[in-house]
Amino acid sequence: MRWFQSQWLPVLAVFLMVPAMPAAAAEAYVKIISPADGARLDAMDLAKLVYEVRPGPKGDHIHVYVDGKEVGILQRLKGSYALEPLSPGQHSLCIKVVNKAHVPIGVEQCVKARVE
Amino acid sequence: MVTENLAYALTQVLHNFGAVTVVGGAAFALWAPALPSGREAQLARLVTLGWAVQIASGVGFGGVSYYYYGQFPDIHGVAVAALTTKVACAAAGLALALLLQLRGERWNEGRRKLSWRALALLGATALFAAAFLRWFS
Repeated sequence: MRWFQSQWLPVLAVFLMVPAMPAAAAEAYVKIISPADGARLDAMDLAKLVYEVRPGPKGDHIHVYVDGKEVGILQRLKGSYALEPLSPGQHSLCIKVVNKAHVPIGVEQCVKARVE
Repeated sequence: MVTENLAYALTQVLHNFGAVTVVGGAAFALWAPALPSGREAQLARLVTLGWAVQIASGVGFGGVSYYYYGQFPDIHGVAVAALTTKVACAAAGLALALLLQLRGERWNEGRRKLSWRALALLGATALFAAAFLRWFS
């Protein structure tokens, strides 16, 4: 008790600093490794989305979108996701981090790919 | 972050208590020993309040999302079907509970029993749909 009375200020400082540290360390991002933006895909090949995600403190899980329509949920933070066959033409492929209520939190990346 | 989680959590608290009230209230009316008619009307009032809380807190989830991110939850497919089911159950449950509260005393026992069964079924269906809404998107 006596120790706490003399040391309460440093203890309080540590408690106040602790929540700030993980937030800074866990900056959220989405990286679509493949296909590259503007890539041309063969309609006969199985299109795969290769990605890496860090959801950050506000994120909970990850949604995948093709042309603005959600097509799946990513279970892993790093890996690949096989897309359903895409029709020929230009397509927008997006990965968005969402919170527990399925609301996109603004951490996302989109690429455009042309299927031929 | 903390206020956002707090807002979602408090909305969830209301939603959970609303769910307990609508299902528990109807179940109690069905399986408890015969209630005096005044008590039954009180129970109907409680269930009406429960459905109103369900609707308000359900709208609240959307409101919290919109306040913090400027958009509503991004749900598709099974989740949309589950949400539609919940909304339909809540609208029907609120209307039926209100009718039971206001006119139930003039109804015969068979009709009241049928209403409580329907309310229990609506509550259980909404709970069932809630699980699908939570885990699908």
